[in-house]
Amino acid sequence: MTEPEEALMRARAAAAQMRAAGAYADEGTIDPEPSDSITLAKLYEWALIEPDLRDVRSTRRYGAPMTALKHGLLRLLGQYHSALIAEQTRFNVNLLVHLKRLEDRIEALERRAEK
Amino acid sequence: MNVHQLLSGAGPHDAITTEAAQFRARFTEWGWGGRDHAARLAPGLNGAVRPLSQFAPAPDDVLLLHHSAGSPRLERLLAWSNRKLLLYHNVTPPEWLWGHAPLVAVHCALGREQLPELVAHATVAAADSEFNASELRALGAQRTEVIPLLLDRAPLGPPGSGERAGPPTILFVGRLSPHKRQEDVIRVFALYRRQHAADARLVLVGDPVTEAYVERLRSLADQLAPGAVTIESQISQAELGDHYRAADVFLCLSAHEGFCIPLLEAFHFGVPVIARPSGAVPETAGDAALLVDDGDPAVIAELLHLAVTDAELRASLAQRGRLRLDAYTPDVVATRLRAAVEATAGAIG
Repeated sequence: MTEPEEALMRARAAAAQMRAAGAYADEGTIDPEPSDSITLAKLYEWALIEPDLRDVRSTRRYGAPMTALKHGLLRLLGQYHSALIAEQTRFNVNLLVHLKRLEDRIEALERRAEK
Repeated sequence: MNVHQLLSGAGPHDAITTEAAQFRARFTEWGWGGRDHAARLAPGLNGAVRPLSQFAPAPDDVLLLHHSAGSPRLERLLAWSNRKLLLYHNVTPPEWLWGHAPLVAVHCALGREQLPELVAHATVAAADSEFNASELRALGAQRTEVIPLLLDRAPLGPPGSGERAGPPTILFVGRLSPHKRQEDVIRVFALYRRQHAADARLVLVGDPVTEAYVERLRSLADQLAPGAVTIESQISQAELGDHYRAADVFLCLSAHEGFCIPLLEAFHFGVPVIARPSGAVPETAGDAALLVDDGDPAVIAELLHLAVTDAELRASLAQRGRLRLDAYTPDVVATRLRAAVEATAGAIG
């Protein structure tokens, strides 16, 4: 019998033994830290707005007709949304371009200061 | 006495909303009046919770502020001179969510920003775990009460017979969100399946933070354990009970938990629990779970194998789980809740 207090020790021993026998090769580790850092590349990706239509749905149990209605409304309002998305995307991209120029200038100034 | 509950958001499948409804039932039983309001209302509540815009308390009413995310127009709430009981459920660190659900991340960031102000205005500060209470003390709360989450086991149904049949089934219940680490659960499960039980199944239950994130989980599952992983959302309590009854092990690798009520649900069904000791998990689980903080997925896979196959270990964990539930009976929680509300109502100021 394994007592709960012994279980982890036994599991570690079993994992080591199996690894020695060739199992569990190159499994890596699991890291409980947030891993998705927000890079400038990621910001560029997000600047181009593409709403996910799967998020437009009914949350009710038998909500398929309501989901269809919502998708229908989106199609009817397509021109308005296209204009809205275009304007917002233009602003986002221009802001990022501006940010990138500023970053480059700071980098250049820092390099100059170091010399 | 009137006690009004104020929530940042409310929805039919939301744990805080469910708890608020249970609190309301107790308040009614004790002869207390009041209404429940929320800043954001999801469809399907059928009028049980009203919009915050309709909130208008009398001067002697007590406000119970459930804090689990940012509350828009918080300053208006704090401007009411009523006595306030803050109940802190913890707020997910936004770093987990910026890349997946930026709007949810904004609410979380706001929730953390607002916490010091809420603590400063609270007549009594309470939290649903000691882990959460320690955050309130760090922000200057002089005295904190712990009111654990109220688990109503009746809708889940009774535990099963405990006899195992069919392929091993691993279960995790929790919001489908990056900080719950379902990705790690899938990775560990895939290893376990490869080394010990080719016919094993994994069931993930929870409402998605975004559909795109669920797609990411499905794609990982198809890659590592094709056909063996089921992801379910928006299910009833009775269906959730069926999943627990069919489970051999409950595996929780969440990186952040303010309480983790599914641990208690697993104890109710006598399902052995393996969990990462993050946040309030060690406190909620006590000695009734196998806690593992190893970064090596092989160790967790082996622990899974042990918990599935060692009948005596399973029986021992089930017994400890039942004892652990005694600390969280509805009457124990209700007594603490009543004491905190009465302390708030009776406070001078």
